[in-house]
Amino acid sequence: MLRTLRTIDIQDLRQKAAAAIDHRVRIITAGLGIDELRAVLRGDPPTEKPNPRFKVHTASFLFHIRPRYYQRGSTILTHTFRLGFFTTFFFGVELITGIILMIYYVPTPEGAYASMLKIMSEVPFGNLMRDLHRLGAEATVIFTFLHMLRTYFTGSYKGERTFTWLTGVILLGITLFLSFFGYLLPWDQLAYWAVTIGTSMAESAPLFGNEVNLLLRGAPDIGAGGLLRAYLLHIILLPLLALLVLSIHYYKVAREHGISLPARMEEGNVSPEVKKTAKQRWDYLPDLFSHEVYLVVLGLFLLLAVTIFFYGGAPLENIANPQQTPLDTKSPWYFWWLQGLLKLGDKTIMGIIIPTLIVILLLAVPYIDRNPHRSFVKRPIAVGLGVLLLLVLILLSYMGLPQYGIETPAATRIIQDMSPEEGHGPLNQVSYDQLQPGFYIVNETPTENLCPEMDFGCPELEEFFSLYSFRVNEAIESGDLQNGEAVMVIENWQEDLKKNTMRITWDDSETGEKKSYERHIYIHRNTSGE
Amino acid sequence: MSRFNLEILLGIILVTLSTVVVVVYGLNEEGRMERESEAQHGKAIEVGAGLYESNCSGCHGLKGEGILGLCPPLNDTHFFTDRLKEVGWSGTLEDYIVSTVASGRTTSTRPDQFAGQGNPAMPAWSDQYGGPLRPDQIQNIATFVMNWEATAKEGVVIEALPTPTPSAEDLADPVARGRQVYLDKGCGGCHTIEGLSAGTVGPNQSNIGSMAETRIPGMPAEDYIRESILDPSAYIVEGYQDNIMPKNYDELIEAAQLDDLVAFLLAQQ
Repeated sequence: MLRTLRTIDIQDLRQKAAAAIDHRVRIITAGLGIDELRAVLRGDPPTEKPNPRFKVHTASFLFHIRPRYYQRGSTILTHTFRLGFFTTFFFGVELITGIILMIYYVPTPEGAYASMLKIMSEVPFGNLMRDLHRLGAEATVIFTFLHMLRTYFTGSYKGERTFTWLTGVILLGITLFLSFFGYLLPWDQLAYWAVTIGTSMAESAPLFGNEVNLLLRGAPDIGAGGLLRAYLLHIILLPLLALLVLSIHYYKVAREHGISLPARMEEGNVSPEVKKTAKQRWDYLPDLFSHEVYLVVLGLFLLLAVTIFFYGGAPLENIANPQQTPLDTKSPWYFWWLQGLLKLGDKTIMGIIIPTLIVILLLAVPYIDRNPHRSFVKRPIAVGLGVLLLLVLILLSYMGLPQYGIETPAATRIIQDMSPEEGHGPLNQVSYDQLQPGFYIVNETPTENLCPEMDFGCPELEEFFSLYSFRVNEAIESGDLQNGEAVMVIENWQEDLKKNTMRITWDDSETGEKKSYERHIYIHRNTSGE
Repeated sequence: MSRFNLEILLGIILVTLSTVVVVVYGLNEEGRMERESEAQHGKAIEVGAGLYESNCSGCHGLKGEGILGLCPPLNDTHFFTDRLKEVGWSGTLEDYIVSTVASGRTTSTRPDQFAGQGNPAMPAWSDQYGGPLRPDQIQNIATFVMNWEATAKEGVVIEALPTPTPSAEDLADPVARGRQVYLDKGCGGCHTIEGLSAGTVGPNQSNIGSMAETRIPGMPAEDYIRESILDPSAYIVEGYQDNIMPKNYDELIEAAQLDDLVAFLLAQQ
C-alpha cells in the first residue's frame, strides 16, 4: 500500500486530471479545449492549429446553423443596421413573453378579458410582460419592414439571393398575420372590431370568400369559435411556420451567400485595397458571437427602458360588445394603408385583389428586376419606384386614419372628442375633485372662476369647459350647428362617482327640426385625472 | 481598447443597468397592482352605472330610489343590512344581486309592498335565461349597486298599495285588455309609452300606431306590429340593436292576448 502511494507522482496526476477534464470539455464544446475556450472568451487568437473554432461549426448543431464568418465589409453598421438581427431578436422576445402570458390567458369570450384584467392587476410583472409583448410585436413589424427596405434599396435581393428575398416576403406576411390574430386576443372593443373588419375583408374575396370567412370566424360573427381559432393560429400554427421559414431564410444567409457587401465595395470604383479589406473574414468565434451577445443585451436594455419609462402601456378598452359598434373603429397602424385603400372603392377590389397583387409584386421583385447592378445610381427605375411606392404607402396610411373621409355629425364628433367612448380624452384629464357639480351652459356660464368655493379653484375644469365651448362655437360659426346650444351637467351620483351629462341641441339644416345629442359619462375617482 | 473588449465592458454595464431597472420596477409592482385593481373597480362601477341607467332605472329609479308599490329601492340601508336575512340567502350581497339580476323574479317576495311589473315580477336579464345582458355586464351592475352602501338612505317607509280591480267595462275593451298584457309581460321595461312606461332599450312606442305603417312599405300597421313582437329581428328600427328583444313571445303570449296587445299598440297614435 505504502509502496503504491510512494510511486504516485503528483505532477503526473495533475496532468492526467487536466487531460481528462480537457477531454470532457472538448466533448461538450464540440472541439474547444479549456485553453481555447478561455481564448475565445477573451477575444484572443486561436491557441491551436488548425483553428479548432471552425470545427465547432460542423460538430455542434447550434453552431452549424451559424455562419463561420462574415466578410468584414458586410458587417459595416450603416450597411445593415443589424435590422435582420433585431427582427429575430424581437421574434424571440415575443416567444418568451408570449409563453409567459399564455400561462394566465384563457381563450374564451368569458375568460379572455377577465384574464387581461388579472394579468394587469394580480400577476407580478404581468403588466410588464403584456407591454413587452405588445411593444415587441410592433417592433417586429417595424424591423421586418425596415429590413426589407434596406434589402431593397441596397439591391441585396439579386442573383443567389432571389429565393432569400422570397422567403423574406413570406416572413413579412407571417409577421402581419401573427399580429393581426394576436390583436383579437385581449377581447376588447378595439380588438373585436378591428378583427371583424379584417375578416370581413376575407368575406368579400371572390369565389370562396364566404367559406374563408366562416373558417376564420367559426361562425358568421366572431365569437367563441373565432377567438379560439385566432388563438391557435397565433400561438401554434403561425409561430411554427415562422420558425420554419425563418430557418430557411437565415440558413441561406449564414451558410450559403452571406450578407451582401455594400454595393460600392462590390462594384464601385474603389481601390483594390478597400475591396481586399472588405473581403477579409470576420470569424464567428469569437468576434461575431460576442457582438451578437452584445446586441442582445443592448436590445433588451433598450426594450425594457422604453417599455417602462416611455410606453404608456398596451391599450385595453371595454370588453368586446358585438352589439355596439364603437364610433371610431381603428385598425393597428400597420394596417392603416389597407383601411385607406378600402375607403377608395369596392371591398373586393381594394381589400382583396389589390393587396394580392401587391404581395405577388413583392414576391416577384427579384425575378422582374433583371438589372444586375446594385448601386443606387445604376438602378434609377428600381430606386424611383421604391421611393414612389413608399410615398403611396404613407399617403394611404394617412387616408386610413379614422378622421379621414368619415363624416361624423358635429355634435357627436365634439362630444366624442371631449370624452371618447374608449380610451382617454380631455374630460379624463380633469381631476376628480375639480369636477364641481353644477349646470354649465356654453356661452352663458363664464369660463373663468368657475369654482369660487374651492380652495384653489378648478383650473382643469375651466380648461375643459373652455375647450368644449370653443369646439361648439367653432361648429356654430361654420354652420354645422345652427342655433346650437350646449350644456354640461355634473352631478354627484354615488360615493366616488360623478355623472357628467353633455348635451348639444341644434336645428337640422334641412328640415329645421330641433335635434339633440347627449351622452352620459360616469366618472369614478379611481379612473379620472390620469 | 479593442471593439471586442469594449463590447464586453458595455455589455456588463447594460446587464447591470437592466437588472437595476427590473428590480426597481419589481419593488413598485405591489403598489402598481393595487392601483390597477382600484382603477378596474372604478371602471366596473362606471360601466355598471351606464348599464343600470339604460336597463334598470326605469323601475328601480335613476338613483336607486325605486317606485313605491312596484319596485324596491336599492339605495336604502335595509337592502344592505337586512335583505339577505329576509330572503335567507347564504352568499354575499353581491352574489345575491348578480343572481337576482340574472334570473329575475317570477313572483315578488314582498307582494304587498313591491308588486313588481306583473308576471314575472322582474324579468330575467341574463342572456342565458333569455335576457339581453352578458355575465360581465351583470357583474358590473352588481358592483355599481354595491357602491350605494356608503350613501344608502335610512328606512324608506312603504305602504301597501290598493290592488286595482279591473272593471267589467275595461275587460270588454280589447285596448284596455291589451294595456294589461303590455304591463304583465313587462314590455315597458324596455319600451316607452308616454304616461305608462319609460324603458329606453327598445324604440319608443308612444305613437307606434301611426309609425308602424311607415316602417315597411306595403305592410299594414297591424301586421308590422304582430311581426315585430313574434319575430323581433325581422325589422330593426334605426339606432337600435338586433338580438336584444326575446324571440319567444309566441310561447309567452297566448293568441287572444296577442290580439289585444296589437290592438292596444295600434291605439297609440
